[in-house]
Amino acid sequence: FILMLSLALGTMITITSNHWVTAWAGLEINTLAIIPLISKSHHPRAIEAATKYFLTQATASALMLFSSMTNAWSSGQWDITQLTNPPSCLLLTAAIAIKLGLTPFHFWFPEVLQGSSLTTALLLSTAMKFPPTTILLLTSHSLNPTLLSTMAIMSIALGGWMGLNQTQTRKILAFSSISHLGWMTITITYNPKLTLLTFYLYSLMTTSIFLSMNSTNTLKLSTLMTSWTKAPMLNTTLMLTLLSLAGLPPLTGFLPKWLIIQELTKQEMTTTATIISMLSLLGLFFYLRLTYCSTITLPPNSSNKMKQWSIKKPVNTLTPTL
Amino acid sequence: MALAATLLHNAYFCGRCCRHKALQPLLGPLLSDSLSKSYSSYRRPGSQPEKKTTWQNVDLSFKKSIEVLKTQLGMLKKETEDHLAGPEGQSLTHYMLEQTRVVWEFRSQEDLNKWVISSDVEIGGKSEVYLKLGRNNQTALLYGTLNTEVPRDGETKYSGYCSMRAKPLVGSFARKKYYDWSNFNSLYLRVRGDGRPWMVNIYTDPYFSHQKDDLYNYFMFTRGGPYWEEIKIPFSKFFLSSRGRVQDDQHPIWLDKISTVGFTIGDKVNGPFQLEIDFIGLLNDRAHTEEFAYETYEKNPPL
Repeated sequence: FILMLSLALGTMITITSNHWVTAWAGLEINTLAIIPLISKSHHPRAIEAATKYFLTQATASALMLFSSMTNAWSSGQWDITQLTNPPSCLLLTAAIAIKLGLTPFHFWFPEVLQGSSLTTALLLSTAMKFPPTTILLLTSHSLNPTLLSTMAIMSIALGGWMGLNQTQTRKILAFSSISHLGWMTITITYNPKLTLLTFYLYSLMTTSIFLSMNSTNTLKLSTLMTSWTKAPMLNTTLMLTLLSLAGLPPLTGFLPKWLIIQELTKQEMTTTATIISMLSLLGLFFYLRLTYCSTITLPPNSSNKMKQWSIKKPVNTLTPTL
Repeated sequence: MALAATLLHNAYFCGRCCRHKALQPLLGPLLSDSLSKSYSSYRRPGSQPEKKTTWQNVDLSFKKSIEVLKTQLGMLKKETEDHLAGPEGQSLTHYMLEQTRVVWEFRSQEDLNKWVISSDVEIGGKSEVYLKLGRNNQTALLYGTLNTEVPRDGETKYSGYCSMRAKPLVGSFARKKYYDWSNFNSLYLRVRGDGRPWMVNIYTDPYFSHQKDDLYNYFMFTRGGPYWEEIKIPFSKFFLSSRGRVQDDQHPIWLDKISTVGFTIGDKVNGPFQLEIDFIGLLNDRAHTEEFAYETYEKNPPL
């Protein structure tokens, strides 16, 4: 319980900070609080995930501190919104990219998500993304757009490509997270409010997916296929949510994509907009595959797990219908 | 550190890694290979004397490197095509529907080359082990003699083991590849033994080196008869051990990143042994509902 409290504390500290050191402190509190959560089950893979998480996040924090120090050295103040020194901007972008899991710093993310339990994975992909995103938002006017766009396009490409034949649901969600982060960062220099909107909608959708997967304890595709016997309503809502993540029109997930493409065309970046929409087709493919597995095919067998007779925690089925 | 660097070099330049042989046994004593001389001058009785050093092995011919590059690029292309096709290179429907899969069969010499045999000769013991193709090239025969005579080096207390281990999968550009067996829940072995108990070990290659001795084991009891036995070992029965010591904190094996499978005999009985293996496969036993055979106690339960 105290770990959750520290997570909330760390997030609040970072969000409400206007001095670099408080922002860094909040991020560190978050990292340290979530490490025991990841390694709670003493499985070697969980411990490996916790180690990887700690190493990457510590490097990112150190880089961030370094960038803020060089900025303070050159401009004499520690205000987050006044990031004027170009090298420190670049370094900060790299540091936040590592923290968020943008390509090319995404390598830790699927493994860490795979090693942690489903609820911790949920926390890792939604709550832990929030403070670095706020830092990016605060400094968005001074960041280098080329670098961010490159990383964003690569993230969308890679999230789509690598997610193609994963069989473990947590890794699939990790790659979808990387892809969505790409969509978020592509518009951060032009219209930061869109990034925030994308983030909120993304966290809502991901939360509902993770929670529905948690109640049926699906860790791999085969379990997903047999979940229709136990909770058919949950299954349909899961399907809708997945399609929403994919960004299909009548569902909510389409909204951020549409607005981002509109924003990019306003900024005369139509080629970028085309490229990212094409790349998100890859993501669409594996979301469709997930829905195909879970809903459209009905395997004759049920899963072997004994625990799934009744849902222990009835999931809020309203959130996916948003 | 130096050992790791030299091992890496060996893995890249030589065809057959001595790293595979070096990761074998479950009993205590530290292994050696020809490169341990970088630490001390004492050479364990079973290890080979120092052959050519790694820098003498370097081959700087241009043609050969182009060929190597071509093969690696070919492998990379095949991997990309597999990636597009679906999980494990087969289509999704195949993955969804499969309930059995044969992973290792023994029909030719190249199938035998995918396995490495070792025995306590590495630490100075006297057991012998050989692997050959059985009759009509239909099986693999692992045979030899177990000798529990302890090597007299002052620190070994037990001896007498022989083992056979699969080589890990290698992808393009010498990357590690893993098996994904998450669709299945038991190991299916068609063997003909001689009554001796064997231990089946599964190695899930971890990322960090402090976990490299983690091994999941279970026993396989063979009958001696002339009839083939089909042994099904559910994965829920495998227990975790590290360097041969069973760990306190047990958990079920995760099947999504499996590196190698091995068989070991070490039942303290002097004499010949024989194991004929037809194939090693996987089974998704729908009737098996056990998740883990050993109770996982919380070490510090909340009061």
